[in-house]
Amino acid sequence: MLTNKVFIRKNKRGNVLKIIREHYLRTDLWCGSCCCIICPHEKHDLILAENPPSKSSIFKEPHYLMVDTNVILDQIDVFEEDVISNVIIVQTVIDEVKHRSSAIYKRLRDILTNPARKFYTFVNEHHRDTYIEREQKESSNDRNDRAIRKAALWYQNHLNKSTKESKKPKITIILLTDDAENRRKAQEEDKLVSCSVQTYVRSLSEHPYLQDKLCIKEYASESDKHPVYPPHLTVVQMHEGIKSGKLYQGSFVASRENFLEGSVNVECFEKFILVQGREALNRAIDGDTVCVELLPENEWTCPSEIVLEDNENDPIVETIEEDENEKILKESASKKQEKQPTGKIVGIIKRKWRQYCGILKPNEIKGTSRHIFIPAERKIPRVRIETRQAEKLYSKRIIVAIDQWPRHSRYPQGHFVRALGPLGDKETENEVLLIEHDVPHSKFSQEVLNCLPSLPWIISEQDYKERVDLRKIAICSVDPPGCTDIDDALHSRLLPNGNIEVGVHIADVSHFIRPGTAIDKEAASRATTVYLVDKRIDMVPELLSSNLCSLRGNVERFAFSCIWELDKNANIIATKFHKSVIKSKAALTYEEAQLIIDDKNKNDDIAKSLRRLNELAKILKRRRTENGALVLASPEIRFHIDSETNDPIEVAVKQLRETNSMVEEFMLLANVSVAEKIEKEFPEHAMLRRHPIPPQTNFEPLIKAVRHQGFDIDTSSGKHLAISLDNIVKDDNPYFNTMLRILATRCMLQAVYFISGTLTRSEFFHYGLAAPIYTHFTSPIRRYADIIVHRLLAACIGADSTYADLLDKTKNSLLCNNLNYRNRMAQYAGRASVALNTHLFFRNRSEEVEGYVLFVRKNALQILVPKYGLEGTIYLSGKNINAKFIYNEENQSQQCENIVFHSFDPVIVRLSLDSTNVQHEKLVFELVKPFIEGFSIQSNDNVMEIDETPQSPTMKRKPMEEAVAVGSGKKAGNKKKKK
Amino acid sequence: MAYNALSEAEKVFILHGIQDDFRNDGRSRRDFRPMELQTNVIASACGSARFCIANSDILVGIKPEIDAPFPDKPEEGKIEFHVDCSANALLDFEGRGGEELALEISNCLRITYASPFAFDLKSLCILPKHQCWKLYVDILILQCAGNLYDAISFAVKSAFYNLRIPRVNSALLDGGNVDLVLSDDPSDCDRLDVQSIPILLTICKIGEHCVIDPSIDEEICSSSNIVVGVSRNKIVSLKTISGGSFHPDTIENCIDLAISTAKTLDNTLMNILKHEESLTKSKKNIKCSFLN
Repeated sequence: MLTNKVFIRKNKRGNVLKIIREHYLRTDLWCGSCCCIICPHEKHDLILAENPPSKSSIFKEPHYLMVDTNVILDQIDVFEEDVISNVIIVQTVIDEVKHRSSAIYKRLRDILTNPARKFYTFVNEHHRDTYIEREQKESSNDRNDRAIRKAALWYQNHLNKSTKESKKPKITIILLTDDAENRRKAQEEDKLVSCSVQTYVRSLSEHPYLQDKLCIKEYASESDKHPVYPPHLTVVQMHEGIKSGKLYQGSFVASRENFLEGSVNVECFEKFILVQGREALNRAIDGDTVCVELLPENEWTCPSEIVLEDNENDPIVETIEEDENEKILKESASKKQEKQPTGKIVGIIKRKWRQYCGILKPNEIKGTSRHIFIPAERKIPRVRIETRQAEKLYSKRIIVAIDQWPRHSRYPQGHFVRALGPLGDKETENEVLLIEHDVPHSKFSQEVLNCLPSLPWIISEQDYKERVDLRKIAICSVDPPGCTDIDDALHSRLLPNGNIEVGVHIADVSHFIRPGTAIDKEAASRATTVYLVDKRIDMVPELLSSNLCSLRGNVERFAFSCIWELDKNANIIATKFHKSVIKSKAALTYEEAQLIIDDKNKNDDIAKSLRRLNELAKILKRRRTENGALVLASPEIRFHIDSETNDPIEVAVKQLRETNSMVEEFMLLANVSVAEKIEKEFPEHAMLRRHPIPPQTNFEPLIKAVRHQGFDIDTSSGKHLAISLDNIVKDDNPYFNTMLRILATRCMLQAVYFISGTLTRSEFFHYGLAAPIYTHFTSPIRRYADIIVHRLLAACIGADSTYADLLDKTKNSLLCNNLNYRNRMAQYAGRASVALNTHLFFRNRSEEVEGYVLFVRKNALQILVPKYGLEGTIYLSGKNINAKFIYNEENQSQQCENIVFHSFDPVIVRLSLDSTNVQHEKLVFELVKPFIEGFSIQSNDNVMEIDETPQSPTMKRKPMEEAVAVGSGKKAGNKKKKK
Repeated sequence: MAYNALSEAEKVFILHGIQDDFRNDGRSRRDFRPMELQTNVIASACGSARFCIANSDILVGIKPEIDAPFPDKPEEGKIEFHVDCSANALLDFEGRGGEELALEISNCLRITYASPFAFDLKSLCILPKHQCWKLYVDILILQCAGNLYDAISFAVKSAFYNLRIPRVNSALLDGGNVDLVLSDDPSDCDRLDVQSIPILLTICKIGEHCVIDPSIDEEICSSSNIVVGVSRNKIVSLKTISGGSFHPDTIENCIDLAISTAKTLDNTLMNILKHEESLTKSKKNIKCSFLN
């Protein structure tokens, strides 16, 4: 039987089309139930059990479930559980789910294709008896609800007929829907059994944990509670507002330091639009695309300089009274002069909710099921969830999804998804790190592994012919200890004319990773290898990264070589690039190489080669610094890891040797040479790296801080800055200069990859290196950008062919965006990993160490501890602090009686891990010296004793604080080669 | 007009018959041949109708599209007629044979509908000065047995009655571009007022007498024809076809005849259309028309 489906569509040109689709109704669609004797089933059609055991306490009789679309969309987590089976999913639901959310559709498909789950797809839309046409004035939702009810009714009648004839036990169809109206119609009009998902899941008394997975969406009206937040505008209102220019659209970025502050990045504004206060933030969560309204100019303010943490202890009772935090915020903001556009969020255009890692906040009320979830990411608000297994979850890292954020609720509402593992467990914490930083860390798929060359890998005659044979040359590699992915090696030798030939040999990864293959796509998506303290997440499978590509000692490997002829003063006479076969004579560590150079008795090829390289590197470095390259600093530490427990047992600041700088100089030289070459050959398509010149406003905190110390700093150009940094030295404070460099690092912008055709030549400049052009060529094993650069260079010298995508500017720009994003995330993940290990290190120990005041805030001091590269906060005001501090905004100082704190002042602090809260261990900074009555703690030589006496009054009244992740963990934008 | 072989004797016979008010198919001079009507025959069109007078068979489909109004008429929509003479209808239409006739008919319709009494083009306005509906009226002549003008005008009017224009829920203006939001319910439609839509009546002068609804043979015998467009007792267009001349008195007579005939015909047509609509509504899912 034929019927027509009619839609009206608007096409791109704006024309209105009436589209007619033929729709055939069939009589040969079977019900899929084992108890049916009417339908002539094939065996594989029989999915639904003949006598489904009932697990529900309300519905004792055997039953099949039928669901409506919203149930699947909201409660897919529940349906993924094996407990729920014998479910009929009608075509209407599948279509609607597919239309609304492709992610949930995929999950639903996975359930449907698993026969063990007993989920049956009933194609009701093509069944003659269950197809219905939309009636006039009926909304499509109502029509779909009716279609589902019709299918349910058909099933009920069909099964009744069957079971009556065969005298089998009767089977009920239970329609699960959270739509009260739909439920009413099903019960009253169609005489069906229907209930809400909640009711049903609650009735599964043997499986109480299922209830936690329920998504709590309230369909009831919100009017009975007093709303905390102003309402959002409707989509149409926002649309009109944006079109008329009254409202602005942008992405919302929450402040990391202050939970009541955030900003919206709107394209047409130079500065971010500031949003302050709970009502103005109006339920926006970091990453959402929001609609913002500007406040009148007299209400504009500036970002407050205080650190605020949400410490709301009373999660159940909500008040709209302005709490203390908000008061502090207002006071601090109102005085400042430099006001910036301020607005309030009036609507959410698109939510960017994902699943969040975090922990459960212990609830004072025992036995309650309502809990507060604290996400690991500080930008994300706390989430209210319901769970009955809280006791079990307290000691675990869990993942929670946000469902909704109603007006009357202070926090968004969500549900528990899964537990990652015990708190404090390294595996769990690493997993959290990786998830939070969006690092793809799953195992490589079989498809990717299939792209690998088969072992044993043998170099063929053809390969030797195509490549320059450098096996005889004394090439060696210098890397940090324990490095298995060696992607560079060096050599140098004297030429007959007195010049020196220097070669940099980079692993030829592009030989193994061919464009367009699965492995290429995977590597492009991962973009970079991520280094955690105790773990490496490879960009390419280990076979390549640690074996075939790695330029290990005394094995033949393919390399991409960059060979210069340099004169005695390290001026480049000639440059050539070619692919080669090399056999590294030695894989050295920095330390070993240094020893060889220093050992006068060694005079073999490698020793000579290294000494020559070292001399040249010194010249190169000097020249680079003269040009204005910056020497920046960041506290970097290494952990010595216990080989058995995998816990850090010692922390050491990373040592820098001459050889580090030697390798670095030649890598920089190679990168610059390659950048010049590919930019010349592909002026429109070269992938380069730039480091934008920071705007002068970025330097303001630095200039201010230095001025209070009686120095002036010239930030007008990189060169001036470099000179200033060299000159500002304080004899009584040897760490002063390093701190300045740390501060300067924070003024920098991120270095980014870009495609040469998208920017003008003057924008190519690399500020940190003072290089007019730069790229990444030297680490293809761990960076995808290098692979692209290799391909470009290979195309330049005719060693490889180009392909369409290599010269596609748009595609490559998108690729650059991904590389930049992943690099940033990898950096953050690395830092977070360091912070995590620091926590582990301080477990069961506390220590008094020397620190420096990095910033003076209105309500806190930020302290840097060079020994551990740590940064933390000491709060100066709060409920339980007796000492009275006076903040001087003019010269950025805090005074208490006769003790004054300035930036850069040395202090002694005690570091300890606050483990009173098992859930949320925090590194606590406490002031020891200078001593302030009622604020500082007594110095105590017996460190362990203090740690075990938490009843000491100071411990208790300290505000909860958390070490801020080492903000300066790495140089701004990977300027230098680093393993 | 279409060629048909008629001998002199046959022509004289027809002429004499008309003089005696007894046409060769048995009708009087004021009689119409039997008519047949069906609407909503093309699913993909927004309005359609098939109309037959004896063997003259016309199919009309209307499709609305969005267009910008004429600058001098910012609040009016547009209508475009297109006539296609199928070679099945008459052998003469083969190749480009029907083009001239098609143009003649579509021009006549255009002039008739352009009259402010005939059709309110303002009802097709979406957003003054920016957007309006443009209706494409496609007319297909499937068979020709005389009196095409009348048959076509009835078919077009029926199709207009059947026309359902998608409802525009809101039209927003953004820097000159218009953003339309259409109703997602296909049954949520706007209908046009068809009361004033004109019908055409062909008055055929054969000898000394005027007849209506001439058959194809009679058309050959006529000295001249006059097509009168009538909308609610008002003349909205007047056109002579196939040469010949009229005395002013005859024209007046013709107009009177046309108005009185049109009145009854129009009423009948409207009643039939309403009746047909009520029929199809009650048995909605049963589709049996000549197209499907």
